[in-house]
Amino acid sequence: MIPRLPHIVQLMKNVERNLFHMFGYPPKELALAYVHENKPAAPLKKFSIKDIVGDGFLLAVPKFRRTIEKKLKRKFGSPEYVWKMLVPKNNIKVCQNCGHHHEKGRLCEHCYSKVKAETEEIQAKIKEKLGINPIEHDVVVLYKGESLPDEPKEFWKGKRIIEMKKERPQWFSKNLLQKTTQQPSESTDVKPTDLA
Amino acid sequence: MNQAEVSKLVSKLRINVPPTHRKLRSPKGPEGRIDKLRKTVTGLVKFERIELNYNRADEARQYTERLISEAIRHGDCHKPTMDTANFWLLEKELIHKLFKVLVPRYETSNSSYTRLINAPKPQYGRNIDKVVLELKGNPFPDLINNNTNNKLLIQNVLLDAAKQDYRQSKINEIAKNIGKTENAPLNESSKKPEAPEKPVES
Repeated sequence: MIPRLPHIVQLMKNVERNLFHMFGYPPKELALAYVHENKPAAPLKKFSIKDIVGDGFLLAVPKFRRTIEKKLKRKFGSPEYVWKMLVPKNNIKVCQNCGHHHEKGRLCEHCYSKVKAETEEIQAKIKEKLGINPIEHDVVVLYKGESLPDEPKEFWKGKRIIEMKKERPQWFSKNLLQKTTQQPSESTDVKPTDLA
Repeated sequence: MNQAEVSKLVSKLRINVPPTHRKLRSPKGPEGRIDKLRKTVTGLVKFERIELNYNRADEARQYTERLISEAIRHGDCHKPTMDTANFWLLEKELIHKLFKVLVPRYETSNSSYTRLINAPKPQYGRNIDKVVLELKGNPFPDLINNNTNNKLLIQNVLLDAAKQDYRQSKINEIAKNIGKTENAPLNESSKKPEAPEKPVES
């Protein structure tokens, strides 16, 4: 029975096609118009690198494979020399005086900048006061509104007293209960003032 | 033995002196190194506080310490010391400062005469170790100013006051309860015999 089945299917298809032709379907205008011809196959040309190279030029390209070690070194660096990874710093401390962060074992940048500015100011003042005189006496710095501390007169005999024309900075004072140099604010504006 | 005592020839410094000197790069070679150090020593004696690279500062510190200690040891009537001072101090008025200001200042000190403190590193930029080198007893504000143990620090004053307040309130509370505590043990003792009865009932 199975060898007959295709034959029967073919028969059914023929009947179907004939029935369609009888009722004029599909229309003949839609029929494909082409002439079938068997072209002879083109002769196979042998591939040659010269066809590609020819008159053009080649770009520089890597000649050898880069080893994995070199790749990783280029990407991440070497921990002994230049380590490119972002590594958290564990040596950051909070300054006891101002609360800014600084590296352990180093001065706090915020405090030091203030000290540096004040030091430079005092140094300039000392230089100005001294002029061309020989340096024979030690320096004592007094700020505005400060009097000489209670010391015997012999103590002050050989001292160069440098008077700064401003009040002692608060952070430079030894007694933190004394008056602050910052003036009390009288303005009632709330900062920032340019919002409304 | 004919060998002289080393301690009598050279004064002992109060800082660590490495066995070998540091080479400072200079086109003039070793002579240029000494020139650099002379400039630094002069600057330190002049300004009393300078900021510079670690290598140069550490090297110049040793020479400064030596110079001051020699000056203290021998005084200004000793010719070799005077020559040393003349060599190391490029500005000659500083020789007066060395003998008239620094020697009296450090005569009685028991520690080193200079201080070397690491300066903050810039977050971005060249990675150079900067230090602050200063003579002790200078008139400038302290570099390390840790007031946390200062009794007069405002936080400490407030904390002390708060502690005292708390203690006072506790003492008052105890004083109030003194009369009540005499009655309390009586009540407890009267209740105690009742307590064991309850489990028996249940």
